[in-house]
Amino acid sequence: MSDSSANDSRVLRKFLRHKPAVVASVVIAVYGVVAFVLLVVGVITLPDTLKRVGAELQPGLSSERLPEKRLLDCEWLIDRIASLSERRNPEKALAAFSDMGVRRIADVELDELLNRIDLAWESYDELADIEDVTAAAAGTLDDPDVPPPAEVRSMLTELEKRTDALLEPMTKAEKSTRWFELLLGTDRQGRSIFYRAVYSVRVAILIGLVTALLSVTIGTLAGLAAGYFGGWVDNVVTWFYSTFASIPNIVLLILLAFMFDGGHIDGPINKVTGGLLDRLIGGRLDETLIPVYIAFTATFWIGPCRVVRGETMKIKELEYIQAATVMGFGRARILLRHVLPNVTYLMLINFSLLFIGAIKSEVILSFLGLGVKKGPSWGIMISQSKSEVINSFFWQIGTATTFMFFLVLAFNVLSDALQDVLDPKHV
Amino acid sequence: MWSYLIRRLAYNIPVYFSILLLVMLALRVRDPVFGRLGKNATQEDITALRAELGLDRPFVYQYGDQVRQVVTFTFDEKSWDYDGQTVGEVLRRCIGPSLAITIPALILTSLLSISVSLVSAWFRGRTLDKSLVFVSVLGMSISFLVYIIFGQYFGAYRLNEYLGKDLFAIYYEPSASNATLGEFVTQVWPKYYLLPVMISVIVAMGYDTRFYRAVMVEESSRDYITTATAKGASHGKIMFVHMLKNALIPIITRVVITIPFLITGSFLLERYFGIPGMGNQLLMAVESGDFPIVQSFTAVFAAIYILSNLLTDVLYALVDPRVRLS
Amino acid sequence: MNFANVFARPGLFLTLSVLAVGIAGCGGDSETSSEVSSAEGSGSDSQSPEDGDGGGSSRPSRPSTSERDTPDHASDPVVVSEMTKQSAEEFEQGYKSRLASGQLKSARIPMRSDGPKSLDPIRGSTTYENQCASQTVETLLQYKYLKRPFEYEPLLLTELPQSEDGLTWHFTLKDDVFFHDNACFPGGKGRKITSADVIYSWKRMADIKGANSKVWWLMKDTVKGFDEYKDSQNAAAAFDYDAPVEGFEIVNDREFKVTLRQKSQSFMWKLCMFQTAVVAREAVEKYGERFGLTPVGTGPFIVKEGDWQQGLGIKFSRNPNYHEAYYPAEHMKSDEADDLHLAAGQRLPILDEVQVVFYKTDQPMWLEFKADKLDYAQVPAENFPEAFSKRTRKLKREMKNKGMKGYPVDLLDFIFRGFNMEDKVLGGNSEKAKYLRQAICSALDWDEQNEAFYNGINVIYDGVIPPGLPGYPQGGNSDKAYRGLDLERAKELMARAGYPDGKGMPTIDYYTSRAQNGQEQSEMISTQLSKIGINVQVHLLDFSQLIKKVDEKSAQFFSFAWSSDYPDGENNLALFYGPNEAPGSNHFNYKNAEYDKLYEQIVSMAPSPERDEIYEKMQSMLMEDCPFAGSMARTRFFVVTERMKNFKPVETFENWYKYVDVVK
Repeated sequence: MSDSSANDSRVLRKFLRHKPAVVASVVIAVYGVVAFVLLVVGVITLPDTLKRVGAELQPGLSSERLPEKRLLDCEWLIDRIASLSERRNPEKALAAFSDMGVRRIADVELDELLNRIDLAWESYDELADIEDVTAAAAGTLDDPDVPPPAEVRSMLTELEKRTDALLEPMTKAEKSTRWFELLLGTDRQGRSIFYRAVYSVRVAILIGLVTALLSVTIGTLAGLAAGYFGGWVDNVVTWFYSTFASIPNIVLLILLAFMFDGGHIDGPINKVTGGLLDRLIGGRLDETLIPVYIAFTATFWIGPCRVVRGETMKIKELEYIQAATVMGFGRARILLRHVLPNVTYLMLINFSLLFIGAIKSEVILSFLGLGVKKGPSWGIMISQSKSEVINSFFWQIGTATTFMFFLVLAFNVLSDALQDVLDPKHV
Repeated sequence: MWSYLIRRLAYNIPVYFSILLLVMLALRVRDPVFGRLGKNATQEDITALRAELGLDRPFVYQYGDQVRQVVTFTFDEKSWDYDGQTVGEVLRRCIGPSLAITIPALILTSLLSISVSLVSAWFRGRTLDKSLVFVSVLGMSISFLVYIIFGQYFGAYRLNEYLGKDLFAIYYEPSASNATLGEFVTQVWPKYYLLPVMISVIVAMGYDTRFYRAVMVEESSRDYITTATAKGASHGKIMFVHMLKNALIPIITRVVITIPFLITGSFLLERYFGIPGMGNQLLMAVESGDFPIVQSFTAVFAAIYILSNLLTDVLYALVDPRVRLS
Repeated sequence: MNFANVFARPGLFLTLSVLAVGIAGCGGDSETSSEVSSAEGSGSDSQSPEDGDGGGSSRPSRPSTSERDTPDHASDPVVVSEMTKQSAEEFEQGYKSRLASGQLKSARIPMRSDGPKSLDPIRGSTTYENQCASQTVETLLQYKYLKRPFEYEPLLLTELPQSEDGLTWHFTLKDDVFFHDNACFPGGKGRKITSADVIYSWKRMADIKGANSKVWWLMKDTVKGFDEYKDSQNAAAAFDYDAPVEGFEIVNDREFKVTLRQKSQSFMWKLCMFQTAVVAREAVEKYGERFGLTPVGTGPFIVKEGDWQQGLGIKFSRNPNYHEAYYPAEHMKSDEADDLHLAAGQRLPILDEVQVVFYKTDQPMWLEFKADKLDYAQVPAENFPEAFSKRTRKLKREMKNKGMKGYPVDLLDFIFRGFNMEDKVLGGNSEKAKYLRQAICSALDWDEQNEAFYNGINVIYDGVIPPGLPGYPQGGNSDKAYRGLDLERAKELMARAGYPDGKGMPTIDYYTSRAQNGQEQSEMISTQLSKIGINVQVHLLDFSQLIKKVDEKSAQFFSFAWSSDYPDGENNLALFYGPNEAPGSNHFNYKNAEYDKLYEQIVSMAPSPERDEIYEKMQSMLMEDCPFAGSMARTRFFVVTERMKNFKPVETFENWYKYVDVVK
């Protein structure tokens, strides 16, 4: 074992020959860039992911909607605008309308708008009388009173035209924004699934990166110290990780989330540190991702700590370390110069594994209502979609799963490759 | 061997007590009294409830009481949520359902994934092996929750709709808890537990298959296999007799070590399918702030974990004479 | 205005009204059901325009004012003078044949929670505990099943309590009421209930030692000598249930008298609340803490050992010894469209068993309802568009075609944002603070909240009294209110409060519960208030911590909800009564001597136009002073399958299991 650069480049070459691993790295890099752009530039912001962009449960990729669904979507929009026009201050309410994403209400006099609303309702009422518009449009409805299918279809087109007349025509730029808004459909609250999924990349990368970095750093330091110094240091570290490891992972997560939840811990922390939290984050702890980081780190540091400790104990017995000790090199120097480089491969592998662990655990935690509190995340999207799945609407769960799938898959492949390249003896 | 066991146990005692301490402290970050009294609380009620819940005692006493319960296995503290029931009673009624998921899941997962890994190792490096490995990785890259949501929708709701009768239940039926053992095995288990168990198996398969395959591959490169091959033993014999026998150690270790994870893994399943197991109960207790239940359940989980770790070591020694417990 | 003059004779109103109720109340009562009288005895003072034709009820009815009234509110009550009662033989025979054929009448219904914590009435508080306990234990009075607006009638009594002076009330128990058969009685046979049982059950409410009773607040300041009894017994080493209370007097086994501290209009409503139900002393003493698991009462259903699977569900079985009671004949005209009137005269309970299933999350409940495993369901908000048309609030075709029926039920809710009147910035009676509160009220847009989070199905209204009760303003709108959205007015008020465009305005701490979309809702409030230059710091707490904050008077601005204990606006007006300040129910710590005086006046007043006038007066004071910003009431939507009969969804009272039927 040595830390020469020749060795490094050999490892690198070996890694580059591993094609899936290279592809995986590229995938991870893309996610990373998206996260970075969102974090720094802010193309899609938190409010974008929270506001309505249209009727609920619209399918994505411009899929054909059933006539019944088209009728419903029109109903939603007319009803929404009609209810605004009945407010105490209709002009103001209408001007503030933002439930259709970039689209605005037609810039006409209130009377004219009310007129258009009536027209739209008229058109709607004709169709609403039909038992099943989908069947009627397909001509499978056996009812003499129902108009022929072609007429039903044209009535529907007319209704959509009249509904659209309530809104201001779109400019070219608006049209393209609108395309993105509706790209992957809308969720049960009419929010853009695409925006939510993309914004969640940021959350996932943040959680993965911070948790994995923290856990690996803490775990490695503790493991190095325990393995190298032995004695009481070792006892304390082992006692710590035994304690944390003996509480089942999920129970520990739940307990920690319970502690942070609702801002109970903020008061005491602020009291002791003289308002540290207020100054640092300017808000409540559980609205940030900090509790999630802490909860995950508390459970995840054990893994790297264990392996690094074992490896350090082995390295300590190696001849050249013994020699260095005899030569009187300082312990810190030996640790940093000779031992640490020899455990970096473990750090890398663990980092990759913990990244996956963090992303996947976030889903579980969010399902239990203890995870991310502000804004969307894949976990929140998946748990919210459970009521949509009953209605055979799979766009949200599908999108979140797909986004998450490629990132986790990439990390899985990468972990395997790192394992193969850096630690071939490992089972 | 015995002295080793005793030493390990002794080492785990302080660990165990610090777990209890940790849990109790974590819970007490919040004051549970106000939430239990509702909107018409008076100062009098608050004091009375605090005394009733035993929260007016110094923490040391509360801790001591918890330790006593664990040491004596009494679990006689009253649940805060369930009138007149002790933690022990709640525990007893939750253990059965939890075991009804975990044990079958453990057995099925192990059998299936070992078989698949043998197939994979047999065809090592060939297309079948590669695709099996790939499928496991794919399977691992999807969230547990997605399996559950789709499992319930397709496995219960849609399938029942298609068959016109209830094969698997969408949600647990309260009366199922009153079934006799015979009814449980023949009717209740297939209807309410089989689907969650299958989901659990599918999720765990990816991880386990990969692990076992790695073990098999590792074993197959060992000297004795080379020797056996040189001696002209058949491929099949090498595989099933020599290799499997030697791979037993990591297999057993893996099986035992997964026990606590299986229990916690069933948290979500229990929650989603409404199965009245320990995980579901613990989650409810955390939500409603039923401290005695949270404390004692965590204590039980931790004990299971520590004991299964210990068991792993002992089994290791029993199976493999190369390992000495010292 | 001179109030004293108008309300010089409150006692008279009380007496008249009680008499009136006494006569009308017999409608559902088995012994006198064939001679239901109309309004003769009602006295002329209390006729409201709607009831003017002498409909069935002589109880002063409440003008119905909600814009979105359910049809029954608007329709006329129907009194059927003749009702063919099902004979005891037929009733028994029906059960026996079902038993023999194994075709028991059984309902399977959902409950959206993990169920009750206890079935002991004195330990119950949630609506889930109410629903489960109400099937096994019974109160002296009950709500009339089909009548709207709500009215009460005797349940364990032969007639409504009688009083000469409005202070001392005379109660007569029915003669055929037996406790459930249980091992706690000699020979396992339930014995007849007595006056002593009633008094004993009420005394249990006073036993707060060891946090036993959670419901003392109901009896506080009500019965003569009862508060003293409670204090002395809780101070003593052991609680003595046999010690006398001045206000309770047992005449004989069937008759007793209760003397009130002061005249109280709400006392009768409290006798409908499940917390005051009658339980068997033998059982309490035998089972101790476990009494809450299998309570022994007189109800139409029994919970046997093992029938309550904690957290999962509870099974109720028919009580074979249930006292003689029949499905009521009195109903509303609109009930006829739903065939609710057809069962009149059927002996109760109609069902043989009811299986309640607890759902901690809505998704499996809705899935099971769609798979036809449940007899009815409350429609979860997220599934609302699937079941109901937003525009018409009618059931969707797809559901209708399956024979289902949809019912919207307005809940007696008062959902509001409250100001802590003791706060330095927002509180106090100074003009400036008042303008600031008015400005905030004018800037909050409840309609937007309703649209965004409740599909627009909730009711937004002015004042503190929920829809359907007297005192609710016409159409929910009052011109005295400062309810938003009125940004111009809000900005002007801000300027008058000394914060033009929010200049110099400190950040407000807003406390709300971390319930579903609490985060998004508070974000919306921040946005709305930012438009008048107010910055809001949102604090999401879980419910227990929110209560704690409010109880400690340390929540500056908070979100809360109150759901009425009984259908009388007085219940909500009490929320602003000075002596009720936190940790009592006056979370606002609103103190106004004039208001308090009016409140003290109305507690003892019978419903009357005069009282309605005081209600209006009190509400006007609240709307002017703005200790709250509001208000909203939820509307619950029910979908009922074709096979479930006689079900009129309601959330104000819960003992309706005995009326419903399932025809497979």
